[in-house]
Amino acid sequence: MAKMPITTVKTVVESVEDGGDGIKVFNLVDPDRWQLPPFRPGAHIDLHLPNRLVRTYSLCNDPAEDSRYVIAVKREAAGRGGSIALHDGIGPGDTIAVSLPRGGLPLDPVAARYIFVAGGIGITPYLSIASHLQRIGHDDFRVHFVTRGHLPFDHLLVPLIDDGRLVVHRTSESGRPDIASLLPEPQADTVIGCCGPESMISDFETATRDWPVGNLHIERFVPPPLATDPDAKPYTVQLARSGSEVMVRAGQSMLSALQEFGIEVPTSCCGGICGACKVGWLDGKPLHRDRVLSAYERERFLMVCVAGSDSPRLTLDL
Amino acid sequence: MLDKVDVDRIGSTAAPAWTGFVRFLHLAPRAFLPMRSMDELTLIAGRGIEGDRYLIGREEGFYSHKPEEGRQVTLFELETLIALKRDANIELGAHEHRRNVTVEGVPLNHLVGRRFWLGETLLEATRLSIPCRHIEEITGKAIFDPLINRSGLNCKIIRGGVVRIGDSVRNA
Repeated sequence: MAKMPITTVKTVVESVEDGGDGIKVFNLVDPDRWQLPPFRPGAHIDLHLPNRLVRTYSLCNDPAEDSRYVIAVKREAAGRGGSIALHDGIGPGDTIAVSLPRGGLPLDPVAARYIFVAGGIGITPYLSIASHLQRIGHDDFRVHFVTRGHLPFDHLLVPLIDDGRLVVHRTSESGRPDIASLLPEPQADTVIGCCGPESMISDFETATRDWPVGNLHIERFVPPPLATDPDAKPYTVQLARSGSEVMVRAGQSMLSALQEFGIEVPTSCCGGICGACKVGWLDGKPLHRDRVLSAYERERFLMVCVAGSDSPRLTLDL
Repeated sequence: MLDKVDVDRIGSTAAPAWTGFVRFLHLAPRAFLPMRSMDELTLIAGRGIEGDRYLIGREEGFYSHKPEEGRQVTLFELETLIALKRDANIELGAHEHRRNVTVEGVPLNHLVGRRFWLGETLLEATRLSIPCRHIEEITGKAIFDPLINRSGLNCKIIRGGVVRIGDSVRNA
């Protein structure tokens, strides 16, 4: 059987620590303790869990620690199952496939001042960012931590509180603070950020309408932006031989839609030049975008790694 | 016809005058992991590089469906890194192109189908490497297009041995 392409980074759980407040801290390393792909402070990764769940978590550690991904997971009994799978099913020695890190705080240029607002477990990216800023000697940053009352990661947070870098707002005592009151007027040399529940991010966005977009950093756990045509439309791929239909989402690649459906297509460059994924098409109007097929070949074939469809349906000889 | 190129004749008799050197050596044990700079690499005839992701039998590194015999060791020209900076203003380090051996003074694109010495090891070039979209994801640099047709060389290992930085590279 043909091998499927490797799309994830293999890690093993080196240790699991108690982060307090129902949080487990997982230390992920390469099986040979090799360096892991680099990340920006506060970046996040997808974890591919054994029960086929894919869940996204912020990295909590300093990117200078290049052989370790540290994630903190709060057990959510009423959640969608990812945190329970990790808390109850994953321990030291277990293997977890992860994505390449995404997002995080852009560092070029470094802003003069940083102000962050974190809600609950949304504190995690700021653990990474605070470690990074302290290591590079940046002494003008502040994190407003909105929490029900508990203080997780106390060995990390207490020193930040003592340094005046972290201000704790306990909602059990005074309700959720007015986000706008935590932020200064827009300043060109200041970057502000937020990570927390959607309602908090929404309040933050309302409070920061007058800020330049480049000075805002909102950490949302979303897939990487697709570098595609903003006018891209969804379409259906009909597979002539099997009779199956595969939906391709707007901006999704045909290859990824076929792979999600379980169709094995040989690939190599994924950029439309090597020809490995050439397949025949029978009906519809393909958008080719490859750089290898001649005009004559394009009448019969397409490259699924880069091709799209200009018609709502496209029939492939698969 | 005086201008007709006889590919067979040129392929069999031309003796290119070049001598190059090994400038950097890198490997990684698994897909996506950063390449690590090494002082030497151990090449195993017919299999690959000890500890590298493409070592045949290890097979932890194939992004593609095409694990291939001819990719036991991969080479890259130092001159391409210089050209990327000069022509596209892209700084690409020798650890970022993800080939194992960075050479200087070796016309890699001329060597497809030929045998040549890499230090004490004997290689046979099977085909030009092609760039892969993954490399843009890994490096965060838009290098796919600038690397087309100069993305290095895939080789089989005919005679194994240890390759060190500074070793000469010469025609066999």
